This record gives sequence, C-alpha cells and structure tokens, in this order.
Amino acid sequence: MAYLIHLAILISIYAILGLSLNLVVGYTGLLSVAEAAFYGIGAYATALLLVGLGWNFFIAMIVGMVLAGVIALLIGLVLSKFDGDYYALASLGFGVIVYSIFLNWQGLTNGPLGIPGIPRPNLFGFAFSDNFSFLLLSVVFVLLAYAVSQFVVNSSFGRVLKAIREDEKATQVFGYKTLNYKLTIFVIGAMLAALAGSLYAGYITYIDPSTFTVTGSIFIIAIIILGGLASLRGSLIGAVLLVLLPEFLRFVGFPDEIAAQMRQAVYGLLLILLMLYRPQGLVGEYKL
Amino acid sequence: MSVIPQLVVNSLIAAGTYALIAIGFNLIYGATKFFNMAHGVMAAIGGYTVFFLMTTYAGTNVIIAAILGVLVAGAIGWGLDRIIYRPLRKRRASNMVLLVASLGAFTIIQAVIAMIFTSQFQTLSGAASEKVYAIFGASITETQVIILASAVLVFVLLSLFLKVTMFGKQVRAVSDDEEVAWIAGINTEKIIGWIFFIGSAIAGLGGVLIGFDTGLQPTMGLNLLLKGVIAAIVGGIGSIPGAILGALLLGFAENFGIWKISGEWKDAIAFGLLILFLIFRPKGIIKS
Repeated sequence: MAYLIHLAILISIYAILGLSLNLVVGYTGLLSVAEAAFYGIGAYATALLLVGLGWNFFIAMIVGMVLAGVIALLIGLVLSKFDGDYYALASLGFGVIVYSIFLNWQGLTNGPLGIPGIPRPNLFGFAFSDNFSFLLLSVVFVLLAYAVSQFVVNSSFGRVLKAIREDEKATQVFGYKTLNYKLTIFVIGAMLAALAGSLYAGYITYIDPSTFTVTGSIFIIAIIILGGLASLRGSLIGAVLLVLLPEFLRFVGFPDEIAAQMRQAVYGLLLILLMLYRPQGLVGEYKL
Repeated sequence: MSVIPQLVVNSLIAAGTYALIAIGFNLIYGATKFFNMAHGVMAAIGGYTVFFLMTTYAGTNVIIAAILGVLVAGAIGWGLDRIIYRPLRKRRASNMVLLVASLGAFTIIQAVIAMIFTSQFQTLSGAASEKVYAIFGASITETQVIILASAVLVFVLLSLFLKVTMFGKQVRAVSDDEEVAWIAGINTEKIIGWIFFIGSAIAGLGGVLIGFDTGLQPTMGLNLLLKGVIAAIVGGIGSIPGAILGALLLGFAENFGIWKISGEWKDAIAFGLLILFLIFRPKGIIKS
C-alpha cells in the first residue's frame, strides 16, 4: 500500500508537468525541451528557502513559481524568435544552461551533491509528514493545475493559442499580437512546472541536479506525446502509464542500474513507435 | 611563460572533435532537413566498439579496432535511417516528428550502451606511453595531433568526394531538392542511406579518437551532439565548410572563455554563443 501511495504521488507530480508542457507543446505547437529546467527552478527555490531560511513550504512554492515565471519570460523573449525545430533546439540549449547552473553554482546549489534534509510541507501547524496526507495534497494540486489548464484552453485566449499553432502568420494578420500570447502561455507553463518541482522537493526531501537533465525533459515530452497532444486528459493518462510501465520492469527482477537504463530504453522505444504508428498519441487532438 | 599558445592548441583540439561531429551532422541535415538528435550517440558507438574489441580480444590491433568502430557506427546510422527515418519520410512526416523519433533513438542507444558497459568512465589506451610534442611552449599529445589531422583530412576528402565523383553530384542533387533529384532518376533513398552511413561513420571516428584522448562515457553522445549542432548552426547549417568554421569559432570561444573563469562553464558559453547566433545571424557564417 505504501508503495502504491508512493507511485500515486509520483504520478500526480508528473501529471502536473504533463499538463504544463501540453499547454506549450500541444495547444500552442511550440516543442519546448526545457521543461526540466523550470521543474528544477521550482524544486531548488523551494529547497533553498526551506533549508536555508526556514520559510514555510507554501510561501516558498509561490516564490519558486514567480521566479520560474520571470526566468521563463526572459527565455521566452529569446525563444519567440524561433519556430519548429529551431525552437526545440534553442529551448534545449536553455535547458542545458539551467542544468549547468544547478550543477556548477556550488555556492548556491551545492553542486552535484544536491540539497538533503528538505522538511515536509506544513500548513497551520498540520505537517504533511506521512505519505497519505502528502498524496491528498498532491491530488489537490493536480486538480488545481487541471482547472487552470482547462480554463486557459477553453477561454478565447486558448483559441488564439490553437490558431497560432495552426498558422501563426494568419493569426497575426487578424490583429493578434502572437508574441504576447506565446510568452504568456510559456510563463504559465513554467509556473506550473515549478509547482511540480516544489512538490517533488517537499516529497522526496532531497534534490540533486540529475533529476533536471535533458533526459528529464524528454521523459515529460514522452508523457504528453503518449497521452496525446492538446488533450488535458491525455496528459494525465500519459503520466499514469509512463510512471507505472517501468515499475513492471522492477518486478522482473533486474538489478537497479540495469532497470534504470531499461526504463530509459523503454521511453525511447515508445517515442519511436508513437512517431511511426500513432503520432497523435492515445487521445490527442494534434500531431506534430 | 604565456598561456596563450596552450589556449590556442586546446581550442584547435576542441575544434577538431567538434568538426568531426558537425561535418556528419551537416551532411545529414543537408539531405534530410531535420535535426538528427541521434547523431552524437554515433560517436559513443564508435568509441565503445573499440573499447569492446580491445578488452575482450586482448592484443587487437588498434588500427583494425578503430576501423571496425567507424564501420559499426556507420552501419548503425544507416540502420536507423532504414528502420525509422525512411518510413517516416515516406509518410511525409514533419521535421518535428523526425526530431522526436531521433530523440527516441538517442535515448535507446545511450541506455543500451550503459547497460552493456555500465555508466562508469572508461579510457581507451593504445600505445603504452603516449608521445607528447611541444610547440611554442604548448604541449600536445600524439592522439590530439591525430584528431587535428583527421578533421582536416575528413574535410578535404569529403569536399573533394562531393565535388568530383558521380556519387557526390547525386548527394548534392538530393540536398538541393530531393523530389527533383528523384524525378531525374536518382535513387534518392539509396543516396540518403549512404549519407547516413558516411555521416555516422565520421562521428564514429570522432568518438574513437575522443576515447583515446579523454575517455568514454555512455552520456558523451548528448554533449557531443550539442557541440556539433552548435558548430553546425554557427558555421552555416547544411554546409560542410560551415561545419569547420563553426567548430573553430566554438572551440576558440569555449577555451578563451574559460581563461579567467572555471572550466565547468564551457557548456554555458557554448549555448550562449548559439543563442547569440540564432538571434543575430540565424543562418550562420556561411549561408547555404
């Protein structure tokens, strides 16, 4: 049971990441490979404020989200000059830069050793110290993220995003300042990713740079492509499947290191098979 | 003693390795117009093939092992095209689909290498003691001389090959316009298969040499890919001389960039250069 709760918490965290990335990739058509960077910014901001300054988790979470949003605004200004595969490449570049800051800014992030001893969240004296209460907290945040995403994509703002995805030039001709739309959704996506990062830091209580690599970004891309681009339901389905799928490998009885690599190989294989046979994913409404 | 000569030598060596990746990348991009994210991992395949031969069959001739390493990398590159990219091209899949599929291929190959050879750092050693040469107060090892010579040789031979042979003309025709080349009676799929073989083999050569110079790690492919792509874009995407120019600029920028600051920031400098070029000169030094 404890194990199932653990998996459910991981699924919740990845579901938020999937929702966040789907707004950018699925609804707006911008293939961002920098998701792990914002995930990491949220996690590091939370960890540092909690461990270093003893702040409350929820305030640290908000600060982390605002910080990720500001950084996303700056990065988004540069990224908005590109589209298609150049966008993917440039965002990958930012992903690597942010990762190398986590890894090399020893004075702030403690480098490759990471930050241990992050306290569990605490709200008005109630500590989410056991995993079941943490799961409830995570589910609340998934519902919040889902509600925000649904509101965004169903609003007139969301319709402009889809128009940008289908034809940016034409959307501009109709008088929409597409730059503002692309920046806004990128910032919203980054803030949701930072939220997931805070939850991760608060749950695992230890973070190091290895969670926030390019491979991490590829994993989240795999989630939304498997579940389906431009489908919020798809993000949830993708997170459930991709978190559970490799757990079966564990039962087959491979040693830990092999199992970890096997998991990577499975994600890679899934991406290829999806591209070959079902590029819109399971319930997607848009294909790359 | 001045450090300038050593910085220049280091820059040239770095440029040599980047060029070996960028040349193949540009060759493949020229013909297929997609960012092949699995290109860097071809270098790891080359290096690890040599490592495998020299550890399992003690006393294997270094030259023979190196040639086999290059051929295996080429063959796997060809195989990926055959199994994944060709069917996608046939379906007129977008560049993004090809990019995501190649990300999948990259993830699988990297994981498989780590499963077979562990994630540990490995070194290739040829001669018992390596000769070190001194020029203008800077030192350079024999392997590093071979890296420089290989980069120059590959560039000259490939340029000549593309210019004078019938096959080279067909390659250029495919790069100009695949459809027209096909109508003119060129077996474009066969030519693209060869392009993948040659490009991957050159990357494999790079991987073998890097194995002898600094060592091997399963994750080396991503870093090499990123540097190769940066060199390719900065120099001029799809252009072979551009790959050389871009590699030189990147090698010098990185090594002079870390003159006064810590060496870990090389990656950040490289991506800084990429982003500057993407903003101000997106077509690179040589516009093709």
